[in-house]
Formats: sequence, C-alpha cells, structure tokens
Amino acid sequence: MSQDERRDAFGFVGPLPASHRLRQIPGPDLATGPEIGERLPDFDLVDHTGRRVSLHADRGNSKAAVVFFRSAVW
Amino acid sequence: MPRFEANGIKLYAVSYDDREALAAYAEARGIGFPLLSDPHSAVIRRYGILNTLIDESDVPFFGIPNPGTYLVDEAGVIIDKFFPRHIALRESADSVLDAALGELLRGEAPGVGAGDGEVRVEAFLHGGGGTLKAGPMRRLVVRFTLREGLHIYGEPIPDGMVATQVSVTGPSGFHALKPTLPPTEPLELPGLDPPLHVWSGTVDWVIPVYADSDLFPAGEEAQSEIQLDVTVRYQACDDNTCLVPRTEHLKLKIPLAGMEVPSLMGMGAVGQNRAVEMDSAKYFAQLNERQTRSRNA
Repeated sequence: MSQDERRDAFGFVGPLPASHRLRQIPGPDLATGPEIGERLPDFDLVDHTGRRVSLHADRGNSKAAVVFFRSAVW
Repeated sequence: MPRFEANGIKLYAVSYDDREALAAYAEARGIGFPLLSDPHSAVIRRYGILNTLIDESDVPFFGIPNPGTYLVDEAGVIIDKFFPRHIALRESADSVLDAALGELLRGEAPGVGAGDGEVRVEAFLHGGGGTLKAGPMRRLVVRFTLREGLHIYGEPIPDGMVATQVSVTGPSGFHALKPTLPPTEPLELPGLDPPLHVWSGTVDWVIPVYADSDLFPAGEEAQSEIQLDVTVRYQACDDNTCLVPRTEHLKLKIPLAGMEVPSLMGMGAVGQNRAVEMDSAKYFAQLNERQTRSRNA
C-alpha cells in the first residue's frame, strides 16, 4: 500500500488506508457536548488509583481542565 | 502536570479504559492527576460526545469519545473548550493552560527578532518546550512591541496605507492555520470616515501550527530541526507622522521531538518516538474481551 493511500486529508499517515472506516474524519457537525456558559455535568467515576471521584466535589472552588481522550491502550 | 497545579487548576482525564490499564499508563508516563475510568462509556454518552462514526459492531473501538478538553471556572461553568476534528490534532497542555490563565506565556525556546526602539518584531513557538511533534497543535506567535504613541493597522485600510500582514512557510509537512488576531481599537481622525483600525502596545498574532507525518517519516530518523520563514509587513504611525512601511524576514529554527506511543499491533516506536512502557497488548486484549462480553450480554 502506498504512502499516499495512508495519508488523510490533514496530512497524517496511519497504519490503515485513509479511506478505512476507522480513519474517518468527522465533519464540521462534530458533536462536542455541553457548551461554553453551561455548567459541566457532574460525574462519579473511579480513578486509576481506585479512588472514587465526584468531579465538582473533588474540584471544590478551583478551576479545572477535564480531558476526554481516546485510550491509554491504543 | 506541575504547571497546572502551580496555577491552581485541577486536571482530570476520562477514557473508556479499565482502571488497571489506566494505572499502568499513569505509572509509565509518571502521571499524578486522576485518570478516570468510564468503562461502559456512560459518562461519554451522557455528555453527548460518543464517537458515532465508529459502528457498534467495531469492537473494541466503539465507545471512544470525540476527544477534547473542557475548561471550567471556579463555579464549574465551562469557559472554553477544545475539540479538533482530527484525532492527532489535540491541543497541547500549554494552550489549555493559556486559556485557563487568560494570557499567552512566553515560549521556552528562543525566538528571533528584528526591529528597533520604535517597533520590535519577534517570532517564537509557544508550547511543548518550543519543539514540534507530529500532531499536537502549537502556537507560532508573532509579537509586535510598539513604542508608546505608535500604532499599526488592521483591515480595512484606506489606499496608500499598509495593513499588517504575517505569513509563515515551512517544509512539506508543516501546516500553519489562520491566525487569531487581537481586537483592534478604532482610531478617529478628523476628515477620515470610517475610523481606522489599529493595534498599539504589545500585539500578539497567534498562528496555530502543526506537523504531519511528512516530517516524521516511518522507519527513519526525522530531521533534528526545521526552519520556518516568517514574513512580516507593517506600517507604524503616531498621531503626527508615519514611518516608512517595513518588511521583516525572520528565520525561526524549530527542533523536532519524538512522542510516547503505544507498542501495539506492530506499530512500535520508530525514529524519535518512544514506546510507552506498559504491556499495551495485554490491556488491549482485556479491552477487546470486555467490549465483546458487553456487546453479547
């Protein structure tokens, strides 16, 4: 498979062809969740150390950055 | 991340990985902030950011979010968010920190400059310690420092005057996106209608940039650095006179850096990249098994 087949519209080369369903790039209608000005929805999840974390309670009165990422594994 | 902590900003990350995989990742990367496990993508769904381009039958890939970051203030209200369309184009920690603090921090790498006591022009790369990697967005900043009383112009501008222009070119694989400009102030002059649009003081033109795979060819050692050509044209005036319009050509050398990548599916670390020190294959198999079980349940 040529490099060109593996290069997507943004210029990135991956292990699968750019046309593969797993390499689809979302359109401008990408769903990005709650909007600026809204309160971030609360959640209750266990962290990597096993500690239960309720977001807003844990955050207290601090500013926070909450990152949703693809995977730590792949 | 010490800089977030030092600035009183709490950091959280969420993914659909198991706690055990997240623990291995945190250890391998020396991460101290909470990595939260959302194994059935319940929170991802509730937020409305489940990636729906991936089909439910695509185990274990289905369940991931559209990746991005929310920044909240002291009351938990979202003040900014970053959701690039391309998975590789994530915001760097520095950009998130800048947004949280409402300011643009100086780049760690030396910039290049030109000019004199009237107008100084500098270009520097902000974020990632001044290095470029394949993917993460950086900001190329062109900073004008004007002597008090002087201003430079934005569009629209009358004939015969020079509006500020900045262009950046680099080697194949380097991308510069549309710059973010600070707002201009109106300058009213007698007999001139509409007013002029000007900047004064310290003016930062912020250009989002990124590097694609061309700069990091698979199986080869990438170049250690690239050169960017930054061309800046402007005209500075005060209330009485205008200086001659100027063009500065700045050459900025940017080091390229490798990344930590999963060692998985024969994709291992090549060139300057390093493999994350965890048994990704084992965790991937566990993820596959868990997702298959939920699907069949």
